[in-house]
Amino acid sequence: MNKLIRRGLLRPLARVGRTAEAVAEHAGQMASLSWGVAAATLRGRVSMRSIIDQFWEMGVQSLPLVLVTAVISGVVTTQQGGYQLTSTIPLYVLGSVVASSVVLELGPVMTSFVLIGRVGARITAEIGTMQVSEQIDALHSLGRDPIAVLAAPRVIAGTITTPLLVSIANVVGIFAGMVAARLSLGLGYQSFLYGARMYWHSWDLLYSINKGIVFGFIIPLISVHMGFRTRGGAEGVGRSTTAAVVFMIISLLVLDATFPSLFLN
Amino acid sequence: MIEYIDVHKAFDVPVLTGVNLTVQTGETLSIVGPSGTGKSVLLKTTNGLLVPDQGDVRVDGESAYFDGDETLRRIRGKVGYVFQYAALFDSMTVCENICAGLPLGVNIREGWVLEKVAQALEDVNLDPRQVMNKLPAELSGGMKKRVGLARTIVGRPEILLYDEPVTGLDPVNTAAVSRLIRDIREKTGVTSIIVTHDIEQALEISDRVALLEHGVLRFVGTPGEFQASPDPVVRAFADRRLAAEAAVRIMEEDAADLKKDMEEETP
Repeated sequence: MNKLIRRGLLRPLARVGRTAEAVAEHAGQMASLSWGVAAATLRGRVSMRSIIDQFWEMGVQSLPLVLVTAVISGVVTTQQGGYQLTSTIPLYVLGSVVASSVVLELGPVMTSFVLIGRVGARITAEIGTMQVSEQIDALHSLGRDPIAVLAAPRVIAGTITTPLLVSIANVVGIFAGMVAARLSLGLGYQSFLYGARMYWHSWDLLYSINKGIVFGFIIPLISVHMGFRTRGGAEGVGRSTTAAVVFMIISLLVLDATFPSLFLN
Repeated sequence: MIEYIDVHKAFDVPVLTGVNLTVQTGETLSIVGPSGTGKSVLLKTTNGLLVPDQGDVRVDGESAYFDGDETLRRIRGKVGYVFQYAALFDSMTVCENICAGLPLGVNIREGWVLEKVAQALEDVNLDPRQVMNKLPAELSGGMKKRVGLARTIVGRPEILLYDEPVTGLDPVNTAAVSRLIRDIREKTGVTSIIVTHDIEQALEISDRVALLEHGVLRFVGTPGEFQASPDPVVRAFADRRLAAEAAVRIMEEDAADLKKDMEEETP
């Protein structure tokens, strides 16, 4: 009987407890890392050259993939929207459907997914490798602050770059949707733009950029945090990188789900 | 002077369980002992790379743990650490790596900086023209160790901590690195602590040798006292033949234990 209680009740409870403890530990460490980044930035300890290097790697080098994703998002939304609207609602409404979908959701989220795969995983692997090969210890022993040298430039560059990429993705996504609407559904540009303007709120653009700022902050923050936590050689780096990608995707989706209730009501 | 006062450290299991040791200014001390007994852990508590769970480490009377961040920065400024696998920054050239050992904010393109880098490379017997612009991946193991040493000494530290400086090196490079450690000490009068598995090196270049076993210091004394010690564990370390016999004995005991366990488990 005791064994049954232990297996049926206590073990799941213990697992929940362990998970909660791990979540609290991550949250605490990330809050501390954020504070460290803010302190290093405010004290002027972050190298401008490092920020520009990261800006180049995160922003400029991610641009082609972001553009491809934005075009596909716009085209697919147009095609599926067109299929649903056929013969029931006026087709020009499609302009609004595409613009809203791209600006409110697809632009920021798809851009962030690109950054998770392209930038987040790379940052964790890079810093994780530095951790297991004692390069982080070497920074400490040389009197350098790894948060100022490694974390802050990445977090600052991510927070600036992502909303810019999201803005570009929004414009390109809507334009691609407009072209796709003309080519596949015969909807003229004027009609598409008329529909897009009909339900347009200027706030939507700010909402989209806000998402970009938050996602752009959280992606490098998690990847740097997971890099610093890496232990156990090459295998540890692999494990840490996978965990970081999962962690970033889940965090991004959870944040994405909280955005409408916070900002769209 | 460096003082380790009742230092305790555990990673799931206890590693250091009350280490007390004093290293005098200008002294060279080698720490030897079996793998996994906490030699590198003890070394890393000196400049705050690891924080002791209990006890204190004082450098010239100042604690890296209880006297605030400014003291920690000051201690790190006077303590140089040579890492086991050099820990060179992969994405930087040799020149940039060595510049990292100079004070923050120096301009790598300035003449005096390049002169200092070249001098540090010459001090470790490397040709600056050959290696200056190479990446760490393009260097051999011995060269990496020497660049790591150059990066540490370029800032002229008062204390040098060496974490297994000759591990993985061939006998020629081992002798070269040992000679370098001795030369640096003679030139600069630096205080040195060397964690090593190479007993010959420890006996040759140290003023004192400490044996760490199961998280506590089992022996501290001069190389002569180390060699003359009647303690069987010290003797096993001091004499290669005895060390080999001890290894065989341990393996035989493990095999006997395993056989006994298997016999007990067999119905």
